[in-house]
Amino acid sequence: MIKWILAALIIGCVAGYVNNNFINAVPNGLISDQLFAVALIALLFVFGFSFALDKAAVDKMRKTGVRIFAFPFLVVLGSIVGGLLAALILQLNLAGTIAVSSGYGWYTLAGPMMGQLMGPKWGTLAFTANFLRELITITTIPLMVKLDRYAPVASGGGTTMDTTLGVIMRYCGKDTLILAFSNGLVLSLIAPFAMVALASFA
Amino acid sequence: MFNPLSILDLILPLVVGVFCGYFLRNKKIPKLENLSLAVIVILIFSLGFGIGSNNQLLSALPQVGLQALVISALAIMFSIIFVKAGKRLVKT
Repeated sequence: MIKWILAALIIGCVAGYVNNNFINAVPNGLISDQLFAVALIALLFVFGFSFALDKAAVDKMRKTGVRIFAFPFLVVLGSIVGGLLAALILQLNLAGTIAVSSGYGWYTLAGPMMGQLMGPKWGTLAFTANFLRELITITTIPLMVKLDRYAPVASGGGTTMDTTLGVIMRYCGKDTLILAFSNGLVLSLIAPFAMVALASFA
Repeated sequence: MFNPLSILDLILPLVVGVFCGYFLRNKKIPKLENLSLAVIVILIFSLGFGIGSNNQLLSALPQVGLQALVISALAIMFSIIFVKAGKRLVKT
């Protein structure tokens, strides 16, 4: 998964650079705005479709109960405080930085979305920061699990329903499946709205 | 076209997707893994294109890396702290 994403990002960067500076084959906006918007809408459709199609996933959601829903909201609060502190340290726009940390690791959404909302520089920052969140989660999971059994689920944020679910189950135990899946789902549902709302204050 | 993206642009495809999936869930549907990966790859390609075609942005990139690391590290740290603190309160 990650190697496909890295390849697409690098090839996209090179293609954009070559197109802009040398060949001018297509208008830049046709790919960076129009194609992007179509792909994002398709992504959300496919994401919603495949979730509703998966009876086990829907049942899991029903069985988790109310208590487990406290978990993702603690991650929301932690990400807000982390973003706030980062904004103060880095002297960046406060609401914008909290919007970046409210991508909860979903960089395929956070990067393009913050780019559209606040410009390409914030898009790159959101993409890189949220990409690093997933990368740090995967690479430091053996250390994190020693801190707390549920620390990797908190760290993974919105990615714990897909990309980091496998490693989390291996290190935290198979019984964390329901917690991790629902955590990732709830955060993935919150992320786009949190970013739009916060960016409107920036 | 969809610029700037509004909340409705995101809600609508998600809700329509959930409804379609719900009504078709007893039908045999081929695995969507490859389709969703393809959509993600197209999305990331178009994002990379936007980065690569922006010379102003490319010169600012070295600065963004460190900022991104500070933001992600602090977000992870406080997410873990809040979950640890919340667990004692909620007793999960």
